[in-house]
Amino acid sequence: MLTAVLCQECHGGTTITCSQLHLYVIFEHEGVFIHSSTEELDDQDSLISGFLRIVDKDGDVVVEYKPLEDTVDPSNMLCACKDSSSVVEWTQRPHRSVDQQLSYETEWDMVNAVSFKRKAHTNGEGGSNHLHERNKRSFSFNVADLRSVTVKCEGWSYLIFCLRDDTTLPAIHFHQGGSQAFLDSLRKSVQLSESPDDENLLLVGTYSKAFSQSFENLLDDTNYGLVQKFKKDPYTTTFGGFSKVTNYFFDAFRPSESECQQRPAEEMADILGELIPGLEINQQEEPGFEVITRIDLGTRPEVQRREPVLLENWAKHQDSEGRLSNVPHLKHLIFKGGLCHAVRKEAWKFLLGYYPWDSTHEDRKTLQKRKTDEYFRMKLQWKSVSEEQEKRNSRLRDYKSLIEKDVNRTDRTNKFYEGLDNPGLILLHDILMTYCMYDFDLGYVQGMSDLLSPILYVMENEVDAFWCFVSFMDQMHENFEEQMQGMKTQLIQLSTLLRLLDLAFWNYLEAQDSGYLYFCFRWLLIRFKRELHFQDVLRLWEVMWTGLPCQNFHLLVCCAILDSEKQKIMDRHYGFNEILKHINELSMKLDIEEILIKSEAIYMQIKNCKDLPHSVSEILGLNTVTDSSTLETSEYGVLESPQSSPRPAHRQDQAFSNGHGLLQETSRNRCKVAFIS
Amino acid sequence: MSSKSSLLKVILLGDGGVGKSSLMNRYVSNKFDTHLFHTIGVEFLNKELEVDGRLVTLQIWDTAGQERFRSLRTPFYRGSDCCLLTFSVDDSQSFLNLNHWRKEFAYYADVREPESFPFVILGNKVDVTERQVTTEEAQRWCHENGGHPYFETSAKNAINVAEAFEEVVRSVLASEDRPEHMLPSDTVDLCRKPRSRTRCC
Repeated sequence: MLTAVLCQECHGGTTITCSQLHLYVIFEHEGVFIHSSTEELDDQDSLISGFLRIVDKDGDVVVEYKPLEDTVDPSNMLCACKDSSSVVEWTQRPHRSVDQQLSYETEWDMVNAVSFKRKAHTNGEGGSNHLHERNKRSFSFNVADLRSVTVKCEGWSYLIFCLRDDTTLPAIHFHQGGSQAFLDSLRKSVQLSESPDDENLLLVGTYSKAFSQSFENLLDDTNYGLVQKFKKDPYTTTFGGFSKVTNYFFDAFRPSESECQQRPAEEMADILGELIPGLEINQQEEPGFEVITRIDLGTRPEVQRREPVLLENWAKHQDSEGRLSNVPHLKHLIFKGGLCHAVRKEAWKFLLGYYPWDSTHEDRKTLQKRKTDEYFRMKLQWKSVSEEQEKRNSRLRDYKSLIEKDVNRTDRTNKFYEGLDNPGLILLHDILMTYCMYDFDLGYVQGMSDLLSPILYVMENEVDAFWCFVSFMDQMHENFEEQMQGMKTQLIQLSTLLRLLDLAFWNYLEAQDSGYLYFCFRWLLIRFKRELHFQDVLRLWEVMWTGLPCQNFHLLVCCAILDSEKQKIMDRHYGFNEILKHINELSMKLDIEEILIKSEAIYMQIKNCKDLPHSVSEILGLNTVTDSSTLETSEYGVLESPQSSPRPAHRQDQAFSNGHGLLQETSRNRCKVAFIS
Repeated sequence: MSSKSSLLKVILLGDGGVGKSSLMNRYVSNKFDTHLFHTIGVEFLNKELEVDGRLVTLQIWDTAGQERFRSLRTPFYRGSDCCLLTFSVDDSQSFLNLNHWRKEFAYYADVREPESFPFVILGNKVDVTERQVTTEEAQRWCHENGGHPYFETSAKNAINVAEAFEEVVRSVLASEDRPEHMLPSDTVDLCRKPRSRTRCC
């Protein structure tokens, strides 16, 4: 059993017939859509969701798009597919039904016997320049046949491929981000240059030596031993894996649970013994690891915060029918000053995407009615489970027991939740139970009560709180999933940012075995909920929900806090334990306005940097759209249609911006990034 | 402080809500907070104490109990000198899960001989009147699983908490003489090489 399972449907099994064929997935991203509004499908289903991949099939680099099967629950698909790595080998297995594919069965075997030599380049021979007729919405083509890519932005990015035979493929829409990562991966195989006549048009040039710094560099002999160990042990990887090239292998080599359990303890010990001290190795001694040389970020600009948005300001932005106007400006105001408490109850519903910004009072009344029905239908589901049934449903029982325990341990000093039998506690409990029904696969995970509590406090209404919580969970979902992919990704991204901002501090943390930033775990899991006073959490969250000034702004918040602590940590020569303790003990001692000022200043500093490493712009979503104004609308575009797919609301573009960022950075070999190998 | 202090790393494990953090806080700060949050991530506190004339720094690690957080919890098991397996006497499931916790610890902590590793079992919340686990049941489990010491505690009412932690120190010191533990500071190197644990049973 492997965690990384790639569904056959996503792979165009028809093309993979040769038993000798080695197939490498260079890039993979789900949540890529084709719009088929002219088709039979009405409303939101006119979006066809699918996978986009770049695959190396025995040297031929092929771009494939495959829609997800209609019967497949995309949330399952997320779990099943997100851990897949960029380097996988197809192993021949009997075909399975769709259901079976979704289980964590092995369809793809991780680098057991992958040959690490990659062909120097693709010449297009034998390329499959055709659309599969089998499924009219899927396509694949050899990159050698690609003539141009049109990059457009319509609140989100979408790409149109034009092939050398003048075939224009259907536009593919990146509602969940990833277009930049895709283009970057594509650049490894072909040269893309902006057309002199049209800045939205990328022309494909002849083959560049883009592969030169690609994966095989990271898979040289020295590292291969390490890789194999990683494959055997996911847990030490959790500990040690958030740094260096090993980041990249983290998920790729995660073995099955059973495989791990069967391993003798001695072997485990050896791996631990070897891997963890490995962290002490100075990265410069480690082949295949890129180093960003010191980049001059320039001075950090002065930033002013503003007063919170008042009720009258908010009202001014509404037309007579209740539509919010000049939303970018409004969001800007919220970003700069937050909201006064009286506005929150209404404004959060928009910020979180429960209400569309352009909805009228009437629309919202209708929406609320529908959502109320839906909520109570789900609530009834768990409410009506008898004791007898519960005895036979261990998962429900476990969720329930943990929710009961945690509700009693969440914000109990807050008036809304204090004392015995406070109605706030019952609401907290009921909403969390109903969320289990809404997303039974995820169920309840510790930390979720922390995320709900401020929302319920502001909404003072069970149904509204539930749906706002659902929207927030859409953003936070990955943090809580079985493999905690969201957490891993964020820790890696944070490490990348920190390295840019202060290499000396980053090196210090590395030397203290803290380079994987475990001590930020709680910050990220529940978005600083335990670090700040309750009122300050409300402020921080509403600021973050504006989606301004860039994506993953919360990572810059982490950087801002660390920036204030780094001197202390280094001066006092804190080691691993002391760093963890010091950071844990910052809780409730942080000043939110100071942090927000610094976070924004850091953002501006980074934004103004001309030689920004690509991995950094990728994380923050800089340069992924043409200018900052469209960047803002891109956020709205996503936020405004929260109902269009299960969890779209500006889900972070994580799938390929994590470890891959390092690779992209190195492969492009710019921005003063040196690659030592 | 001029004399060298032995640093002992102990780890509290057990189901969510059995009172791990409360036990730690009661012991280290002699405080009990009914409104304490559930633990997210990993925390630890140090406490210096003298047991039988020996100065010891106890480093107590507290973890999140939910299964989901296992991969983020288990790396911290390594180098533990003692494991406090905790359940709540008013929650039979938490008692049944002791086995699971013991296994998880032994597996990830790099324990060569789980049979002789110093576990101490804590049955917490004895202040609660509706018990689901009897003293006899708990004692029987400890007896059958390696003869580990068992303490019935109440973090709320400060019953047996200090006694339990002192027993932890005694059982560690008694189990082996480990000069490498004599560290001049209160830091512990998580990355130290696995020791060979030689003990007689």
